[in-house]
Amino acid sequence: MNPLSILQLALSTHFNSFNSFKMTQPQYVPPLNFSLVEDSIYRSGHPMPINFPFLETLNLQTVIYLGDKTDNLEYYEFLSQRGINFIYIPMKSSSEPFTMNDPHAIHQALKIILNSKNHPVLIHSNKGKHRVGVLVGIMRKLLQGWSITGIFTEYDKFAGGKGDSDVEFIESFEPRGLIVDKSNLPSFVRLG
Amino acid sequence: MTSNQLSMTLDDMDDQPYTVDELEDAHYTKENAHVINITAPPKMRIVPPLNFCPVEQKLYRSGQPSKINFEFLRELKLNSIVWLASEDPIDEFIEFTNNENINLHFAGINPDGGDTNPWDGLNETSILQALSIMTDQSNYPILVCCGMGRHRTGTVIGCLRRLQGWNLASVSEEYRRFTGSRGGRILVELLIEAFDKNSVVVNPEIAPKWLTRS
Repeated sequence: MNPLSILQLALSTHFNSFNSFKMTQPQYVPPLNFSLVEDSIYRSGHPMPINFPFLETLNLQTVIYLGDKTDNLEYYEFLSQRGINFIYIPMKSSSEPFTMNDPHAIHQALKIILNSKNHPVLIHSNKGKHRVGVLVGIMRKLLQGWSITGIFTEYDKFAGGKGDSDVEFIESFEPRGLIVDKSNLPSFVRLG
Repeated sequence: MTSNQLSMTLDDMDDQPYTVDELEDAHYTKENAHVINITAPPKMRIVPPLNFCPVEQKLYRSGQPSKINFEFLRELKLNSIVWLASEDPIDEFIEFTNNENINLHFAGINPDGGDTNPWDGLNETSILQALSIMTDQSNYPILVCCGMGRHRTGTVIGCLRRLQGWNLASVSEEYRRFTGSRGGRILVELLIEAFDKNSVVVNPEIAPKWLTRS
């Protein structure tokens, strides 16, 4: 099939869907850089009011915010109205010069993720690129044993070519005292 | 303890330079058998296929897996694989699906026959065939894949997002995340935009929950 006929096919179906436009269900807008990480674990940038109807479909139990902004009152109101547990873990952007990633914040977040009673959980930062990328990268390495190359390509899909110090941090991260309850471990965790 | 066992224990200790943590670990496991101290990644590394990503619960996407990815794929406990390329996958991959009892669905073959170029887009029949597999919970866990996991996989996942009621800007954002340095194809995005979601019948009795809860 040549490109022109694909175009024609596309346009013909386009008119069909235009005719039945009123029948379509409401539109959902996921937050920036939204993605599934594992069953019941989601990642994204900072949600905005336009994303609230979409967030409701996820039936979230917990939201972890890795960031440094604390004035989004409309968002906190939405979360508390829906009974969603909001956990704020202060973490500065490592894209600023002289700022290192904080291992303590990563430990805190991992402990929450490792308790499946907190699921479904959404992890977000401001843009869903670097801070979330570091946490997911460490999850992939420490809890699932992914190859470092696979982790870096996933990190890069969301970060878009920046964040060299972040991948160094993922590679060199060593847990200290990451003590968790065995009975609530999520099924994606591989040990040994 | 024989000298052999002793040397193995010493080797193990070499892997974990933090003896203080190890002592703490021993303390915790002795006192509370229900807790665990995670100190290091699993020894055996697994390698995700090119462009691998979870899409929804028990639904995954990727490029064509090769031998180094098989251990990774076993972890997913797949029931079905939807293959979207117009050409057959490599033999070792077909063999893997046979050995693991995974149903391999060929959805990208041109039903009209004739020449189909690998760079051509998917036609509507292929998209609907792939979606009909994905709207039936009994086929899960599912991996959707094509040669590189970019355009054909991106088309089907994009149409699934439309079916879920996603706005087009977010669908395109997700599609472009997987297209690599050459970027997205305008025809793929047009195909996703023009996709008539009323052409797919979703039976709530057999569809996955995440598809029907909206």
